Amino acid sequence: MRNLQFDEVVVERGSESSPIYRNLRQTLAHLPFTIVDHIGPDQGTNSPVDRFGAAKRTLYLARHKGEFLKKCPGSEGQVCCNYFVINFASNCPMDCSYCYLQEYLADNSALKVFSNVDDLIAETDRTLARHRGVFFRIGTGEITDSLALEPYTGMVRELIPYFAEQANVLLELKTKSDCVETLLDLDSKGRVVVGWSMNPQRVIDLDEHDTASLSERLNAARLCQDAGYRLGFHFDPMIEYPGWESDYESMIEQTFATIDWHKLAWLSLGVLRQTPGLKRIMRERYPRSGLLTAEQVLCPDGKLRYFQPLRIEMYRKMARWIRRVAPTVKIYLCMESRQVWEQVFGFAPSCEKDLGNQMAPEIQQTIHA
Amino acid sequence: MAESAIRDYANSKGFHRQTLDRWLGWQPSDQDALQEIAVGLKVSENHLRDLMDWLEEIALRDDSNISAILKRPAIDSIKTDPRLGRADKLKRIKEQLRRWRFPRLAAIEESIRVKVQALKLPAEIHLSVPPGLEGGRVHVSFSAGSQGEFAKLIYRLSDAASSGITAEIFESLSGGAPEKEPNQN
Repeated sequence: MRNLQFDEVVVERGSESSPIYRNLRQTLAHLPFTIVDHIGPDQGTNSPVDRFGAAKRTLYLARHKGEFLKKCPGSEGQVCCNYFVINFASNCPMDCSYCYLQEYLADNSALKVFSNVDDLIAETDRTLARHRGVFFRIGTGEITDSLALEPYTGMVRELIPYFAEQANVLLELKTKSDCVETLLDLDSKGRVVVGWSMNPQRVIDLDEHDTASLSERLNAARLCQDAGYRLGFHFDPMIEYPGWESDYESMIEQTFATIDWHKLAWLSLGVLRQTPGLKRIMRERYPRSGLLTAEQVLCPDGKLRYFQPLRIEMYRKMARWIRRVAPTVKIYLCMESRQVWEQVFGFAPSCEKDLGNQMAPEIQQTIHA
Repeated sequence: MAESAIRDYANSKGFHRQTLDRWLGWQPSDQDALQEIAVGLKVSENHLRDLMDWLEEIALRDDSNISAILKRPAIDSIKTDPRLGRADKLKRIKEQLRRWRFPRLAAIEESIRVKVQALKLPAEIHLSVPPGLEGGRVHVSFSAGSQGEFAKLIYRLSDAASSGITAEIFESLSGGAPEKEPNQN
């Protein structure tokens, strides 16, 4: 994965005492740093062309003023996996053509890292302490990539020692990068899952710009596994195109030849999906992308997906290829309806708690003992 | 045709600026080909946007151009069919473009339509599948004017329910037969 290219770092006054500021000063010493009084929501979005892409060139460091820990919104009417999210940054330095942030952060696209790590930990600690009998799966990759900025910010390195000591949580770091070096000497005590969003190299080349290659992701996964981390894989978004079957089957074989599947925490499947609004943005930013020609229909939750029989067929094939090499690994579907679950697996989780509880059952047993 | 003619048409119909800009962003021959249909059939903005979406996406997928798509014989025969009024022509052109844009979906929908016909259900029974096949459920409705007719329709429905054709309809909706997943139950 190539190094990210920034033009400057803009720091909101008051963030200079943060460990993240200290890390940025060291790792991006060649860049100009500007201290400003206030960073507004429209910061970084004043480029006349491709505002969203241009916003990735400036890195902002600011205090986060709202809540850090939130329930994942999921998608209306779809089976939910009872996931929580912590947003320690906003927007992503990489640029996937299907990325939902293009629409979600259209009016707030500044690439921001939050400096108040102490507040993040204090807020999380209050919630975890108040609900010691509840198992939390927390992800950090909802509105940013969990690890792409890690070589510069050291954010995750600040967080892991705290989460490693919590009995009722699994923290998932979800990424398309290979930036794991700063994690490898930490003891996560089984409380941290490093998860990769996976696609065949062809899809990475065409639609996952500035991300790590498939081999780089797998090498990084192997390093994390050897360092004691649990792993997660998200074959999501799966892209259908002529020849997709052989590419995805090969990717699965390559994946399971590289890592020990017994140490997988979970594995998810999801298909390409977007709102009509996101599709309009994709049409403007990536007018030649083959993703625009997918045979998608509008689903009741307002998202376009491959028509149902096609995606059921895709899920079944993926599940079959995975089962062949990893017979008992947990597979779940991301943002899918109960009908699709039933057609793919022959059952659907009875409720979101049911699905959430299937993740990492050994930790569940510990906290309920 | 001149850009001004497209502007005039868009203004007369009150199109949004984005729709007009998108149209004028096309190659002149593509602009003209759509304009011929839009003006001739008095196409509203919503329909026009559907046409633009599908035409752009077919052209991208097939490495073709929009004017060539609109010159295909299937479109031409609809445009020139004297038996069809404006609304029917637009409807059929949209249906044809949708078939080209979503060929596999359209093929499944057509095969289900043929299977439903093959069930030879009485006119009082209506059997349909959801738009875009999303949800995967068959919708059945019927009406009866008497207890006798009710019983007769139920009998016909029961007959249809056990038919192999009905099994094929459900299989089409579910992408084929499900595979066993013994480890997660």
